[in-house]
Amino acid sequence: MLLALVFNVIQKNIEMEAYALTLFKDIAVIVGFTALFLFIKLYWKRESFPLKRLVAILILSVLVLVITLLISQILPAEFETKSYQLIPIYFSSIIVANAVSTVLGVGAIIILLLLKDVIFHKRRSYTGRNFLFLIIGLIAASISTVDLSPYESRTVSYLLYGVLILLILLNSFRLSWIVYLSKKEKILTIVYSFFLFALFIGLKINISESANIGKYLLYYSFPLKIFIDGTFLFGAIYFGIAFIGTLFHLPTAEAFDRKMSEVSSLHYLSKLVTQVFDFEELVNSVTGMTLQVCEAKSSWLEIIQTQAETIAYNNGFRDSNHSVLIVANRNIAIDEIEKINSTSQKIESDEVDSIRKALINEKKPIVIDNTLQDKRTKHIKEFDIKIGSMLVVPLISHEQLIGILYATKDIEYGFDREDVEVISAFADQAAIAIDNSRLIEKSLERERLVREMTVAQEMQKKLLPQRLPTLDQIELEALSTPAFEVGGDYYDFVLLDNNKLAIVIGDVSGKGVSAAFYMAEMKGIFQSICNIYPSPKEFITRANQAISSSIDKRSFISLIYAVLDLDTGVVTSARAGHCPFLVASKNGISYVRPEGIGIGMGASTTFERYIKQEETQLRYGDVCVFYTDGITEAMPPEGEEFGYARLMEVVRKNYYKSALEIRDEIIHAVNQHMKNKSPQDDITIIILKWLKN
Amino acid sequence: MSDFKINFRESANANIVDLKGYLDAHTAPELENALQKLVNNKQYNIVVNCKNLSYISSAGLGVFMAYIEEVRKNKGDIKLTNMSPKIFNVFDILGFPLLYEIYNTELEALQKFTNH
Repeated sequence: MLLALVFNVIQKNIEMEAYALTLFKDIAVIVGFTALFLFIKLYWKRESFPLKRLVAILILSVLVLVITLLISQILPAEFETKSYQLIPIYFSSIIVANAVSTVLGVGAIIILLLLKDVIFHKRRSYTGRNFLFLIIGLIAASISTVDLSPYESRTVSYLLYGVLILLILLNSFRLSWIVYLSKKEKILTIVYSFFLFALFIGLKINISESANIGKYLLYYSFPLKIFIDGTFLFGAIYFGIAFIGTLFHLPTAEAFDRKMSEVSSLHYLSKLVTQVFDFEELVNSVTGMTLQVCEAKSSWLEIIQTQAETIAYNNGFRDSNHSVLIVANRNIAIDEIEKINSTSQKIESDEVDSIRKALINEKKPIVIDNTLQDKRTKHIKEFDIKIGSMLVVPLISHEQLIGILYATKDIEYGFDREDVEVISAFADQAAIAIDNSRLIEKSLERERLVREMTVAQEMQKKLLPQRLPTLDQIELEALSTPAFEVGGDYYDFVLLDNNKLAIVIGDVSGKGVSAAFYMAEMKGIFQSICNIYPSPKEFITRANQAISSSIDKRSFISLIYAVLDLDTGVVTSARAGHCPFLVASKNGISYVRPEGIGIGMGASTTFERYIKQEETQLRYGDVCVFYTDGITEAMPPEGEEFGYARLMEVVRKNYYKSALEIRDEIIHAVNQHMKNKSPQDDITIIILKWLKN
Repeated sequence: MSDFKINFRESANANIVDLKGYLDAHTAPELENALQKLVNNKQYNIVVNCKNLSYISSAGLGVFMAYIEEVRKNKGDIKLTNMSPKIFNVFDILGFPLLYEIYNTELEALQKFTNH
């Protein structure tokens, strides 16, 4: 469209040689190129990285220069100059002029748009306005030359060209993108802008009036020439200033690089704080980032363990009172780390702390500028470890030293004040992350334990009788409440073959899961042998035989085994170290306390001789109260135990009531004594009321 | 919880261990360490003075059971003295008096060692 139109206009121009046609031609060119400009802009993709734009401009300008030079070399412009007019000698010149001008025009438009992207990098509110002014100035300068013959001139045009230069200068100081480049990129920028500066100067000379290309362009369109000229001038000035600007930024480039890497590492680490579920990954990141932040050669991280953790891991080694575990090491072997932290006290007359110990004492960053001169590290030469300088910083969380971060460099004086500051800040972040990671681990562990406890609790509940035997001769009530998740109390009943009821109540020393296990064992024994050995003494002896081999020598089970004859009302009982049971009647109340020792306390060969058996005759309305020491030892803070006397008193006062009422009276009395604080031990009660004459 | 303290004394033919305060599941390991130390040093004549012992739990009782066998095997003994009635009752219910020698005074216990 554009080409055809322009072509026609020019053809007519030659034939008629009419002045008026220049005006139409110029207008057509302006309209055509404006359309082209808008068309290109429509499909323009913005690129935020200025360096890529620089490369694009470089390639494009080289391309334009090569093409136009090539054309002008092969086909030199041959025009006749006649009254400020250029008259082509050959028809081919017209085609060449068209081609060259189009290439230059399109090139200039694209270069302008590329430059715009560079200038708009990190734009401010006035950036867009300034650039718009530049474009307007460029177009105004171009339009002002409409209708001018190639060698004519106009005052307005000169004036506008002057304004354009000012606008170019104004826009040329938009160089803020340089600041954010890395050192390497800045060097590239210097090279690029130098070549771009030279290229644009070359292009501008190339299109000057005296040059071949300039003549083609002038012949083609004066306004277009001004537009292209202005664009190239802009390019030359902009990159000239960019070249100088970057040159001045170069000395500070390293410091800037460093700040940028610090910012990005800290940013990265603050992200790390949230990635605390994998401890291994976390500590590896910490050492990895240390290498990056201060360009260290090697780095490692040690964790100071609490005593409990040392026992748990058991692979740490102890350094005086602190046990230390190396959790991550980069570019250095564990044994080398140990050699560094060993002290060669033989050489020194006075005792010298290792670097690790020194930090544990000081809890402040330590810089060793020259390892071979520092007495804490000079021994590493003996081990052939080549380290020039070292930086050691503490990891402190909640005012507690939780770890030590080390960084080393090959060169001496490798760590400056900024390194210390950055690594310290880094260590603070790492400390928080590590602390959080440990907390999560602990809470997960806790959760696991709670789950286990729940299982044990469920299991234990099932070990206790789900239903009490209902018999005509007696009233029976029982209650067992564990103080903690899992208790050690146990009771059970079995109706024996010869119309007898076996009752067992016991207390496993210790609490928790182990107690629940012994309790389960006890239940197994009780259920299986109570029918075989109905005599209480024999039962307890057999139970001891079965259990003493498997029970820890610190643990024991106290229990009472009682057999009630449902025909006669005689209770035969034996006691293995358990609290004596109460028998209340209208004639009085007393504890029944046959002699005996706890199960698991004596050798099975001699055990039997310590166990005595007692018989108690029950009359109508008599009450037996079996219980565990949770009742008698119930003790409020700053108070005394509930004790045997109080228990006896409660039962004495209430023995005529129903079994259920008696049970509740006892619980009520204990709760009152405890001032409604929950008891510290498991509580179990069995109430048996004899209802036969 | 109130704290628990152990003090060691030596007499001519026995080691005296003074217990003070609360002996429960939390403090039992301290007594265990103390007895272990004596056994490690081949000190098998042990008198445990319970004069200032204000509470003992089953875990505390278990500690004595853990060492009595080894001590007696080496012809020594653990003798308990100076118990308050309340403390004695705890030992008594479990049957300790049947297995251990319990005396009112330290002197009686020490004399028993001398007589052997």
